Amino acid sequence: MSDILNYSLADFFYNDNPDILSPPDDFMQWINHPRVKHSFTFFEQQLLAAPRISTEILSNIDNKKRKIINLTSYNYLGLSSHPEVIQAAKEALDKYGLGASGAPLLSGTYDLHVKLTRMMAEFKQKEDCLIYSSGFGGNLGAIQGIMRKGDVLILDEKCHKSLVDGGTLAQVKMRFFEHNKPESLASMLEKSKGARTMVAIEGVYSMDGDLVKLPEIAEVCEQYRAPIYIDEAHSTLMFGENGRGVAEHFGLEGKIGVSFGTFSKSFGGVGGFVCANAEIIRYLKGYSSPWNFSCAPSPPVVGGLIKALEVATRDSTLRDRLWENTAYLKKGIQAMNLDIGETESQIIPIIIGSSGEKLMHFAAEIQKRGLFLQPVDFPAVPANARRFRISVSAQLTREEMDRSLNIIEDVIARGLKGEALEI
Amino acid sequence: MTKEEVIQIIKKNIVENLDDISEEEIDPKKSMRDYGANSLDMIEVVSSSMREMNIKVPRSELSDINNIDELADKFMEYV
Repeated sequence: MSDILNYSLADFFYNDNPDILSPPDDFMQWINHPRVKHSFTFFEQQLLAAPRISTEILSNIDNKKRKIINLTSYNYLGLSSHPEVIQAAKEALDKYGLGASGAPLLSGTYDLHVKLTRMMAEFKQKEDCLIYSSGFGGNLGAIQGIMRKGDVLILDEKCHKSLVDGGTLAQVKMRFFEHNKPESLASMLEKSKGARTMVAIEGVYSMDGDLVKLPEIAEVCEQYRAPIYIDEAHSTLMFGENGRGVAEHFGLEGKIGVSFGTFSKSFGGVGGFVCANAEIIRYLKGYSSPWNFSCAPSPPVVGGLIKALEVATRDSTLRDRLWENTAYLKKGIQAMNLDIGETESQIIPIIIGSSGEKLMHFAAEIQKRGLFLQPVDFPAVPANARRFRISVSAQLTREEMDRSLNIIEDVIARGLKGEALEI
Repeated sequence: MTKEEVIQIIKKNIVENLDDISEEEIDPKKSMRDYGANSLDMIEVVSSSMREMNIKVPRSELSDINNIDELADKFMEYV
């Protein structure tokens, strides 16, 4: 390898090592290089308490416990640690035990699962719903269960890996259209004429925080009679007058064929849901492997999720607070002239550019000053747009936001201007 | 290895990974996208070609490449 630091995880997927239980030889050489090792220290850091805003981690940088402001968790509405949600989960744990102890078709379906399923279908205004133990498994399983070899799945090029892997598993032809460009989608649909075709998009794109251009995209899909599969992982409970997501925000819920989302983000739990017409949900129960060959979601998690849905939808308090906080942080960051891309949501990227070294240097400094804001490196984002990614939360207080903005200004804004950091 | 040989290897891998295309139809001044490749197909073609040539070009250096000819030029830096 010429310059070891130019390589990334994208370069070691193929493995020619004759020993199948060994990684590629150069992978070990790369990952053990001190500077590569340093960049990996930011991953898998241990949180020592709930993902509240003020929490504690065991820092990998110096192996010290550190009190931090958490701007990285997906606990957008604070429901993971909401007292009513915790109480509901405890009650479900007492009544049903830890695990469902069975696949949904055989012995894993409890009254709790049926209740959550019905609530979700009603919430998303679809006829029926399936709930999965994992969000990734939900996307993977819905695509794999609905589509067959010879079908065409057209995806926005920024769609999540779970959708792409679903397409791979279903052995469909996948075509990617340019991000959020209806004319590119139309050209892919034109090429796919004659085949059974579905279009996959996301409500909020997770690395940039921008919204799907749903009115334009829905119009093109309607023209070609292609159903829309929308992943509202980062928008459910937050967008729309009633929190139903980006489709509600645009008033286009009727144009959506399949509405997917996760329970691991705004809901504060774990799992996934797929809402659609009753017949395709019935069909999925027979063919969606991550549903019918996995243990059903854990009862305490389901009990907590039912309460989370109730809390988030009984009024708009939590999402109102989220949008107030988002506006405040965005304004503060924009005042520093930092590049936040095209964000329109609670995900605020701070785009640093092509220097992985700067990114990691800032990441370490930020953390030492008490801010948990994780770096996002290539290949997760383009090599010329490495970044930090703020996940705003309704839990943030003005004081926590001011402290965070101060750290961002001191480290990132001043660092990018070439000013020396005061350490 | 000459650039022509590199282009030949890329063409062979395009044919192996994409439907309904022959080597004669491939114009190196075009992008694999023009022949219906999606991003996963392109990774497959690039990786198979690199393995055949026993080279390893970092993926981060491939993002600005616009066509097959430019890809061959990049590979030539490593052969």
